[in-house]
Amino acid sequence: MHPENQKHDFEPKIIAFVCTWCTYAGADLAGTSRMQYPANVRVLKFPCTGRIDPVFILKAFQQGADGVLVSGCHPGDCHYIAGNYHARRRFAAFRKLLEFIGVDLGRLAFSWVSAAEGGKWVEVVTDLTEKVRAMGPMVEFKALALEEQWSGAIDTPELQEAYDAI
Amino acid sequence: MPLTSQPIDTSIYTTITAAIRSEASRLFTAGEVVAIIGYAAARRVGSAQPIIITNAADAEKLIFTHACVNNLAVYLTKAKKEIPKTGKIGVVVKGCDLKALVGLMGESQLKREDLYLIGIPCNGVLGSTVQPATALTTESIASKCCDCNSHLPTGCDFVPNVALPPGLQMESRYSVEIARLEALTPAERWAYWKEQFAKCIKCYACRQVCPFCFCEQCLCDRNKPQMVDTTPRPAGNTAWHIVRAMHLAGRCAGCAECERVCPMDIPLNLLNRKMAKELKELYDYEAGFEVNDKGPLTMFTEKDDQSFIK
Repeated sequence: MHPENQKHDFEPKIIAFVCTWCTYAGADLAGTSRMQYPANVRVLKFPCTGRIDPVFILKAFQQGADGVLVSGCHPGDCHYIAGNYHARRRFAAFRKLLEFIGVDLGRLAFSWVSAAEGGKWVEVVTDLTEKVRAMGPMVEFKALALEEQWSGAIDTPELQEAYDAI
Repeated sequence: MPLTSQPIDTSIYTTITAAIRSEASRLFTAGEVVAIIGYAAARRVGSAQPIIITNAADAEKLIFTHACVNNLAVYLTKAKKEIPKTGKIGVVVKGCDLKALVGLMGESQLKREDLYLIGIPCNGVLGSTVQPATALTTESIASKCCDCNSHLPTGCDFVPNVALPPGLQMESRYSVEIARLEALTPAERWAYWKEQFAKCIKCYACRQVCPFCFCEQCLCDRNKPQMVDTTPRPAGNTAWHIVRAMHLAGRCAGCAECERVCPMDIPLNLLNRKMAKELKELYDYEAGFEVNDKGPLTMFTEKDDQSFIK
């Protein structure tokens, strides 16, 4: 029997970029072991964390994700020898950039989850979901998408006057 | 900002101009180079523009003044394929420009043996050439020159023999601004950048002028998949500037050309300097005069910081 699902006002959308060799297998293990974890997570499978371009994270936020998780093999366990080492540096830099731009880093999580760590996958996903749920929806990027260019609006008295004179 | 602006000594630039003219003339006469990329006087008083000369008679056109702001390295990336076919190309470089060239060599875009580097001992250039006849002062100087650590380029084939006047101590405008932004809350920073990026008209001047934006097809021009919205609207602008900063992280040489050419005055180099600062802290990497095959984001060590990974 499934435990009674708790109702929440806000169900965050979490996008998880995972590597096929470790975290995807880990998530699979969590599933086959009948472990419960929030259904908010959408898993996207990649060959390796090294394949995950920072622009994917950006795109996820723009398309309405409230939180993003990037997860792959533990250092030293990469199927492609060093993909996760490269990813580690890239994401260390990227999160600093996002932080500087003004994105709350609480919405962005990174983890190493091996194929044997179904329990850790559950824990990582639950933590991020609850954290993002507490933070509320990610509105910044969505608001941007709805906005028009400032130059499209007449926002100075001089311009308004010139416009009225036409 | 200092309360009173102090003049900066640019008297050495006259000597430098004479030296690069005679060197250019010698190079063409000796047949060592087929072309020299340098600066020449432009039409407005005091202004300068890039020029490519191909014979000794034109050597007299070359100048160096505090209005010689352009990073000439950009002409080499766009024309790089022609270099081996025609011969050596001479290029006039300031310290910051040389860092860009060195970066390009590290990325196998240029070969050192195809170039004849004419280094300039530089005491700073103007921040804006809107008024090219402005005297160089601690106020009119480019922000990148305030914390310049490469007044004298090293490893060049020719450097005019002049003594650099003692540099004035100037406040690093970028560090001050970065510190100010870092002290804000994420929401305040977002509001700041939203306002800045909203100004963007997607003219891509920053991409065009950047020596490191040499991809034949930019990710941002691709539409299968379309990762970055191409219209000049806030969403696409923000994405473009984030992608641009990320692609330059660990590569940017700090010539600040992006910021200079931006018609909407978006502080682009601020993002680049922030990334440079972070990479210095994380991986002890700084753009310099030594050619490195690998940048900080194309290499790794097993002991890299992973405190942010669960």
